[in-house]
Amino acid sequence: MKSGRQLNKQEQLAAMGTRRFSLWNFWIASLVLKILLIPDYFSTDFDVHRNWLAITHNLPLRQWYYEATSQWTLDYPPFFAYFEWFLSQFVPGTVKQDGCLEIVDKGQFGWSTLVFQRSTVILSEILLFVVLQVFINTSSVTERTQSFVIASSIVLSPAFLIVDHIHFQYNGFLFAILIASIVAAKRGKYLWCATFYSVALCFKHIFLYLAPCYFVFLLRAYCLNFQDFKFKSYKDLIFIVKWRHLFQLGSIVIGVFALCFGPFVKDLPQVLTRLFPFSRGLTHAYWAPNFWALYSFLDKILTVVMLKLPYVHQFTSKFIQPPLIPSTIDEIKQRIAQNNNGTKGLVQDVFFVILPQITPKLTFALTAFYQVLAVIPVLFDPSYKRFIGSLTLCGLASYLFGWHVHEKAIMLAIVPFSFLVACDRRLLTSYMLLAASGYVSLFPLLYENQDFLLKCLYTLVWCMIYFYALRKTTFLSSSVERRVFFLDRLSMIYIYLLLPLVLGVQFLDMMKWRYPLFQKFEFVSLMSYSVYCSLGIIGSWAGLSWLYNFDEPLWE
Amino acid sequence: MPSKTSKKVEKAQADNTAEESFYASPLYDFLYPFKPVGSQWLPEYIIILFAVIIRCAIGLGPYSGQSVKPMHGDFEAQRHWLEITQHLPISQWYYFDLEYWGLDYPPLTAYHSYILGKLGSLINPDWFALNVSRGLESNDLKTYMRFTVILSEVIFYIPAVVYFTKWVGRHRGLSPVGQFIAAAAILFQPALMLIDHGHFQYNCVMLGFTVYAINSLMDEFYAPAAACFVLSICFKQMALYYSPIFFAYLLGRCVFKTGIRFPRFLSIAMATIATFLVMYIPLYIMGSGSQNVLQSVHRIFPFARGIFEDKVANFWCVTNIFVKYKQLFTQQQLQLYSLLATALGFLPAVVLVLLYPKKHLVPFALAACSMSFFLFSFQVHEKTILVPLLPITLLYTSTNWDVLSLVSWINNVGLFTLWPLLKKDGLALQYCVCFAFCNWLIGNFSFVTPTFLPKFLTPGPSVSSVDSNYRRRSLLPKSIIWKLIIVGSYISMGAIHVLDMFVAPPLNYPDLWVILNCTLGFGCFMLFWLWNYYKLFSLAGQSLQQL
Repeated sequence: MKSGRQLNKQEQLAAMGTRRFSLWNFWIASLVLKILLIPDYFSTDFDVHRNWLAITHNLPLRQWYYEATSQWTLDYPPFFAYFEWFLSQFVPGTVKQDGCLEIVDKGQFGWSTLVFQRSTVILSEILLFVVLQVFINTSSVTERTQSFVIASSIVLSPAFLIVDHIHFQYNGFLFAILIASIVAAKRGKYLWCATFYSVALCFKHIFLYLAPCYFVFLLRAYCLNFQDFKFKSYKDLIFIVKWRHLFQLGSIVIGVFALCFGPFVKDLPQVLTRLFPFSRGLTHAYWAPNFWALYSFLDKILTVVMLKLPYVHQFTSKFIQPPLIPSTIDEIKQRIAQNNNGTKGLVQDVFFVILPQITPKLTFALTAFYQVLAVIPVLFDPSYKRFIGSLTLCGLASYLFGWHVHEKAIMLAIVPFSFLVACDRRLLTSYMLLAASGYVSLFPLLYENQDFLLKCLYTLVWCMIYFYALRKTTFLSSSVERRVFFLDRLSMIYIYLLLPLVLGVQFLDMMKWRYPLFQKFEFVSLMSYSVYCSLGIIGSWAGLSWLYNFDEPLWE
Repeated sequence: MPSKTSKKVEKAQADNTAEESFYASPLYDFLYPFKPVGSQWLPEYIIILFAVIIRCAIGLGPYSGQSVKPMHGDFEAQRHWLEITQHLPISQWYYFDLEYWGLDYPPLTAYHSYILGKLGSLINPDWFALNVSRGLESNDLKTYMRFTVILSEVIFYIPAVVYFTKWVGRHRGLSPVGQFIAAAAILFQPALMLIDHGHFQYNCVMLGFTVYAINSLMDEFYAPAAACFVLSICFKQMALYYSPIFFAYLLGRCVFKTGIRFPRFLSIAMATIATFLVMYIPLYIMGSGSQNVLQSVHRIFPFARGIFEDKVANFWCVTNIFVKYKQLFTQQQLQLYSLLATALGFLPAVVLVLLYPKKHLVPFALAACSMSFFLFSFQVHEKTILVPLLPITLLYTSTNWDVLSLVSWINNVGLFTLWPLLKKDGLALQYCVCFAFCNWLIGNFSFVTPTFLPKFLTPGPSVSSVDSNYRRRSLLPKSIIWKLIIVGSYISMGAIHVLDMFVAPPLNYPDLWVILNCTLGFGCFMLFWLWNYYKLFSLAGQSLQQL
């Protein structure tokens, strides 16, 4: 009996050996879907990238960041500009005639430009498959199944399909570079990790949100050595630092940045103002589902309540002094009137009626605070697992509390979390919450009805497959009994309720012409998306933070 | 040490049967992880969801007659029917402005249009405003119409097919995942996807009812089978192509199988008549009596039209190159000849099924019969190839390598004959992608092994534990003659596509490439038809296990 079971296990291992765990079939299958999506809707980002192709192709390098014929000025770091220049070298004649490379206010282009640009996204995304294939191939045999599930979940991620192949961006390619740095960190190749991260940063500066984590991790793991440290005098502190490593690391990072910004050294202030436009509002065109979405929702509720029931205001103003809340009901009305005829439409700013206004400084302080909290454990224990955990938390903190956050930035948290989740079953609940609410929060990007079924079904089938596969393959640790089943159930209910949310909002949108009542509440559809999804994301963040800070067996 | 499974595979290879359908194909590879007992419920939903997703993606392309004024195309015809059925009384459905896409399908299509039209008017009445909405084109309208096709398919076609594969799988001892692989292969049949969701039609409803009827035959529910089949006919008259076999099979079951069963016969007859009555009574009562019913029948069978329209890969159109029928014979003569030829074509299958009403013969017999209608009957459209392709595609539940190969081949030929139509609709991209994808999925490109390409480009199965020594092969039958025929036909298809794309046809034969397309298609259909007959007769004495 026992030997039979052993033989079975041997057979299983032999079978594992013949499996190649290649992403090839997934690439072909997803390629088919991507090609069929070419005629689909695309956002203004398409014209943005077309304009960048035109700018980099037609103008000398130093003028790239000054050109402003179109409102879609170049606001990505120089590596991305070089990348666009590189792509523009391959524009065929017919596409040029189609108007792909014209610097104009608003792009006039047709089918061939569409095909060309869509295919550059598809081709550049191959890098993502290659990097993840390397990740699978370099992982040990025992964790190869998990690695395969993770890798395929990332390449088939609904976010890349929605944002890259329909909405139009190059995230697949950019995240490939970030993932390369994660893979390098896993294998202990810290110099490669630093190189890939700084390259990624020079492609898209949104990765700056992850910088604290990388900085502390590389410093602690590669440049500091506490092993034989004995404090005798302050001179000994010098020996903590591995100076050779520090110089290597520093020169690599500085080298990458020099390569990137070197040609623009005289125009650096201009480049930086383009990269960091602080004039934009707190929330993006619509409310990204973060903490501020809940905050402004609370503000809206309070406004309604206080106007309807004035004694609520009297009651609260006994505890809270006037600078924090309006002193009288009249002031509330005055503020609403000011909001309506004021700046609202122009700079897409959010104006709070009851609650205190939020300044960029406050958001930065909050983001920095939570990032520091996430980074401190790495300082004590610079393991790969800790690093990934803090990376996820950094991404989440910046997403939840950041200034002018795009809903697309949720990938900054989901991608590192995918690498983390296979380590322990207890992380799965938090991951499922984040993935489900994060992907659903991307739905308003594709507001056209023709994409509705596609985005819903694709996300649904992705969730079915990968929630199931992760449940089957994640490692069960000894701490698994300490799960709080009530919270697990609650989060499952939350995920199931996303479905009526999506359907209900779509129904509301379809029927709003018929019932004037619905038209009055047009903002409700976007608001319900962002409020509900932000609940999920904050819940996931809280769950992960708890495990990250207070569950020791998980991180051994 | 060769493991147990690989031994089994070797044995299966020797017997020329795959151990499981589409063993080692990408489809097998995708669904393999769901093989453990606890996960077997999942693949059913996954294949259905992906089937719907790819239909949505195809639907993003243009439809027939998009911005072609003044008549547009099939899309406008269907939209027009949604419009007239909900605004006009039943008595006028078959009379209203016949010049502009008058209703020419049986009443169930009209009822179906009525429901969908009412539903659409809830969302936006402008889409179907009487007369005003003619030729209306908007993205939301297109989305709604595409959605109605998907909805119809999800209700009528997909469950029927999944049930069929489950039934066959259960009775032949296939693994649950094997059943779903076969179901996926059937659901990803490219011709139906492209015609229904690209070109725009509701064939899935008719075909779905037919599959429900077949399922009922398998379960030996004879009256429901008859009722479902009548519904299928009442949706599109093309389902009549199957009718001789259904008639013969049901009669055979009542008379020859286990002695004469009069109650069964009566129940079948009652079900048939009752269903017809239910379908036509609204026309009679709410219309203007029998006149309306006759008008609908007259609209459905337009004998006044020629023996063939456009170019189609059947006998009359192809031999018309050499014999100009329309000049030699009158319309009546041609009708008679085509009727005789068709009857001659399906008679052997009907006689066989009458004498041996066995379940495993049903798909073959339906294929033989509907194919002879397609090849020899009057007024055939190129889209009608979907009718014979349905029972043929259901044979994907077989595990015989020869059957699988010929079925996949004839599916490709069928899709190829639809090329002129799809090209006209602007669906070239969708055509190419689906052609390649559906073949790749069932393993037709598996010949691209490391012999041809570097290993990292053809890494083979990713998760399925297919033995590394297992020689992956494409779907080609064992016989060398068939191999030559199939490979030759593929090469000619490629050549015709190249000609079509790069070379302008001679001025006095502007349709030359289309005619070449039809001729090749006709040749392949004839060969397949003959093989199908051979198979039908050789399987007559056997059982379901030899399917």
